[in-house]
Amino acid sequence: METDELTPPVIALSGLTKRYGLGDAEHTVLDGLDLTIDKGEFIAIMGPSGCGKTTLLNILGLLDRGDDGDYELDGRNVETMTSAGRARIRSNQIGLVFQNFNLVSRLNVIENVALPLTYQGKHKTKRLQEASKMLGTFHLSEREYYMPWQLSGGQTQRVAIARALVNNPSIVLADEPTGNLDSRSSHVIMEELADIHRRGNTIIMVTHNPDLTSYASRVIHMVDGRIDSDTKAPRPKKGELAPKKPLGTKRKPAKKPRKTKARKS
Amino acid sequence: MRLLITNHLANAYESLRANRLRTGLTVLGVTIGIASITVVLSLSAGATKIIGDQVAQAGGAIAVVRPGSPDHDTQVNNITATLAGAQPTSSLTQQDVSDIGNIPGVSAVAPLMLIGGNVTTGSTTPNDAEILATTPSLTDIVSLPMSDGQFIDSVTNKDTAVIGTQLAVNLYGTDQAIGRTFHTHGMTFTVIGVLKLTNTPVNYNNVDFDHAAIIGIDSGKAFNQGVASIQQIDLRASNDSKLASVVDQVNKKLSSNHQGEKDYVVLSGDALAHPANELFYTVAATLTTIAGISLLVGGIGIMNIMLVGVSERTREIGIRKSLGASNTHITWQFLIESLAMSLGGGLTGYVIGYLVAFGVARTFLTFDPVFNWTIAGLSFGISLLVGLIFGLYPAVRAARKDPIEALRQYH
Ligand SMILES: Nc1ncnc2c1ncn2[C@@H]1O[C@H](COP(=O)(O)OP(=O)(O)O)[C@@H](O)[C@H]1O
Ligand SMILES: [Mg+2]
Repeated sequence: METDELTPPVIALSGLTKRYGLGDAEHTVLDGLDLTIDKGEFIAIMGPSGCGKTTLLNILGLLDRGDDGDYELDGRNVETMTSAGRARIRSNQIGLVFQNFNLVSRLNVIENVALPLTYQGKHKTKRLQEASKMLGTFHLSEREYYMPWQLSGGQTQRVAIARALVNNPSIVLADEPTGNLDSRSSHVIMEELADIHRRGNTIIMVTHNPDLTSYASRVIHMVDGRIDSDTKAPRPKKGELAPKKPLGTKRKPAKKPRKTKARKS
Repeated sequence: MRLLITNHLANAYESLRANRLRTGLTVLGVTIGIASITVVLSLSAGATKIIGDQVAQAGGAIAVVRPGSPDHDTQVNNITATLAGAQPTSSLTQQDVSDIGNIPGVSAVAPLMLIGGNVTTGSTTPNDAEILATTPSLTDIVSLPMSDGQFIDSVTNKDTAVIGTQLAVNLYGTDQAIGRTFHTHGMTFTVIGVLKLTNTPVNYNNVDFDHAAIIGIDSGKAFNQGVASIQQIDLRASNDSKLASVVDQVNKKLSSNHQGEKDYVVLSGDALAHPANELFYTVAATLTTIAGISLLVGGIGIMNIMLVGVSERTREIGIRKSLGASNTHITWQFLIESLAMSLGGGLTGYVIGYLVAFGVARTFLTFDPVFNWTIAGLSFGISLLVGLIFGLYPAVRAARKDPIEALRQYH
């Protein structure tokens, strides 16, 4: 009880339901989801297309609302929050990577990445510095002043991820963040997410690639708006906060392509 | 919050620059509106200044009585109201004139009766002559130096007249006009004096003395079925400090003469200096109407273009919200854009307005438009208001968009 009160789960869903359409056309996209996610978990959500993964992430990211059931974020019911309060959480706590990237087409790469910092009230020079640093991490330094339409699919995706991570979110919601990437680039991204995870943040990622679930501490399979299976990777509880050993072994496949890259260049 | 203002400004600049033509066309209404207002106000202030200078030059202690109700004493009303003196019959009488003359502290009083009709030599008929019937004491109030001859006085004949230099030239081709004659209303007048060129077509008497033929009040009455239709009574107090009490007493006296009916106004100081010229009113009223319509059209244009902008950028709004923008952030983003448009249009209009005012003044008038902070402030305030009023709805509409709905929009 006491420990529960001290650290409530980051995310607690009970009976979360989302429906679209009316009358005969009504269909249930999320069907009474119960889900508890603790701080520091790295969750991979898998499931067939159309099973409701994106819808779930949108609700978790406070962009959308369920029709039934409860969603508590850090122990607070999100329905009781004001729109300004929700905006503040999106700004300071949540990093979103959209399945379709959603870059602002009239802003260049670095401006896109700096955008979340704007709403944190940071000065322009600071914003551009941090955005530039983040872009460097994703090997995009040479593309800073490109417009979104001048980028390849993979570059666009990396920009979207850089933008999601630039405000140091404690919860990262990533919708197929490696969907368009080759395996080398995928692992670069996964390494970055793993690094954020290692610093104690929570990651929820939708993926179709079973290889990438090896980074996750928990894998959830969804079917038709329901949780079909929910498996935690077997590892000591301590390891979650300081997962040097388990992550070290899991990082092996990631290191390999990195070395190849180093040899190439 | 303050940090974001510069960000919103940069944003607005980018977005307006990206749609330069659209922005320019949208802003045109505000530009024309503010330009019209600036022309009216700067020229009105110029006229006020020149009349004020004339009054001050003439010793200052001058007041005038005009027929009509006193309810247009504010500047805005002054611009839009029709001229009180334009009504055909006047409420002022010769009794009023002599009663005012008897008030202690009044050193001089003179009635002004403007008579319509032409002045002709038989062969030449200038079309811009004005016929003014008055009394000799007018020269004690208005500075009217003679270039030749003498002013009408109590011993000069009923059929003598004093004319302005320009009228003399127009009538006779020379300003050497003493002894020459002209006809008006079936009577023949002999010129006994020619005024010096005053070059003050704008003055508180609304008489261009350079084009005037000045005759005695009795002759004037003869043209009007024996009735003195007095458009204005000029009076001078014996000194500056007495003016206020004199004006007071004039008001009292006229009130009793007119059985308490307020069908006259006594003007002194600033009120006297406001231009009361009929043409000026017509032009000012027209320009003010144009300004009003332009500002309305401009405002609606801004609202329209902002609504277009909001729907064009629906997806962007969704993205910004998903990245942490609050409703307030979005409201400001769009509001600042509409304000940038209206203020930009206003600034352009203000500059253009002055240029036009200068052009008009240098071409047609004898005075320059006046620069002052009131006009700048008013132009700024009106532009700001237009941007606010017509930008608020689109901005709020943008801010109210549901993030997920906005993100679903495809372009
Ligand atoms: N705005 C919407 N209106 C109606 N149906 C929708 C809407 N958005 C999503 N859906 C439906 O909800 C289901 C789940 O969609 P989604 O969450 O995007 O699936 P996933 O991301 O798992 O592929 C799909 O069948 C989709 O057609
Ligand atoms: Mg999806």
